[in-house]
Amino acid sequence: MSLRELVAAFYAWCYHSPALSILRDTKLGVPAVQTVHLIGITIVLGTAVTMNLRYLNLGYRDLDARSFLSSLWTWFRRGLLLTVVAGFVVFLPDPARYVENTSFRVKMAVLTVAILYQFTVFRRATRSIPTSGRTPKMIAIAAITLMLWFGVGWCGRAIAFIG
Amino acid sequence: MIMPSIQSICHWLQHLEWAQAFRESSLLFPFVEGSHILALSISVGLVFVLDLRLLRLAFRGERVSAIMKQSARFSLFGFAVMFATGIVLFAAQAEKAYNNRFFLAKMVFLAGAGINAAWYQKKYFPNMEDWDTAARTPVGARVCAIVSLICWAAVIGCGRTMAYEF
Repeated sequence: MSLRELVAAFYAWCYHSPALSILRDTKLGVPAVQTVHLIGITIVLGTAVTMNLRYLNLGYRDLDARSFLSSLWTWFRRGLLLTVVAGFVVFLPDPARYVENTSFRVKMAVLTVAILYQFTVFRRATRSIPTSGRTPKMIAIAAITLMLWFGVGWCGRAIAFIG
Repeated sequence: MIMPSIQSICHWLQHLEWAQAFRESSLLFPFVEGSHILALSISVGLVFVLDLRLLRLAFRGERVSAIMKQSARFSLFGFAVMFATGIVLFAAQAEKAYNNRFFLAKMVFLAGAGINAAWYQKKYFPNMEDWDTAARTPVGARVCAIVSLICWAAVIGCGRTMAYEF
């Protein structure tokens, strides 16, 4: 059995699984899980925006950068975990529908880059923050980080409109 | 004089030429809807940061007033975009929204979040320096944070679910 056939069999199994079918066919099942997904996204975007405001010395300047960012990282990770887990639960009842959707594919690609960038470049950059001002490099890093996370959000919304 | 019913006003709004064109637009409608959701995520996300501090779930060593000042300042931009896009989205689907129980529930929770924030401002904001760095946040302020989290989660949930009843 090729990998492609294996994946197709998994999708078919998900689609016909009694538990996932109930979730898919119950009127409020999918919106309920999507709500949890959106709450996760809200935590991710809220903490990401706050981290970048502090990183760029644009906001929360009265707060100690190291401890403030450390707490934000904790909640960012929790939000991301909630988003990804709930996202999987939305995906699994009808995986074939999602993987055929161009916006979903782009979303997954942007999400992968966003996670990698956040946990490598951005994490390293926020280890030492100047007491005031911002350099062009810092602005570029913050802009890329926010563009990536908001890009994930836009692609997620586009799934319903651009297949 | 006969007062028009809310239903008839919504019907009139939804059938305005620009509202129909906007509703049927394949690019503008998704763009405005996406902006509405992302603006809500920014502003509510920033309110969430303040609620975490009030509940002492994060930033325990920081002054509440410092976080509140900044979160309120930056979340205003998100709320402005959220309300502006929300009004346009409502006008384009006014009749459908008015007859949607989840939309009505969303408005109730939105009002609840607003009243809760106003209550916090009136009752706890003026004497904030008394407990700004205290080891315990006043019970009432913590209740406000919990009500805020519940109301905003419900706004998100009702907003998501109303689309399934259109």
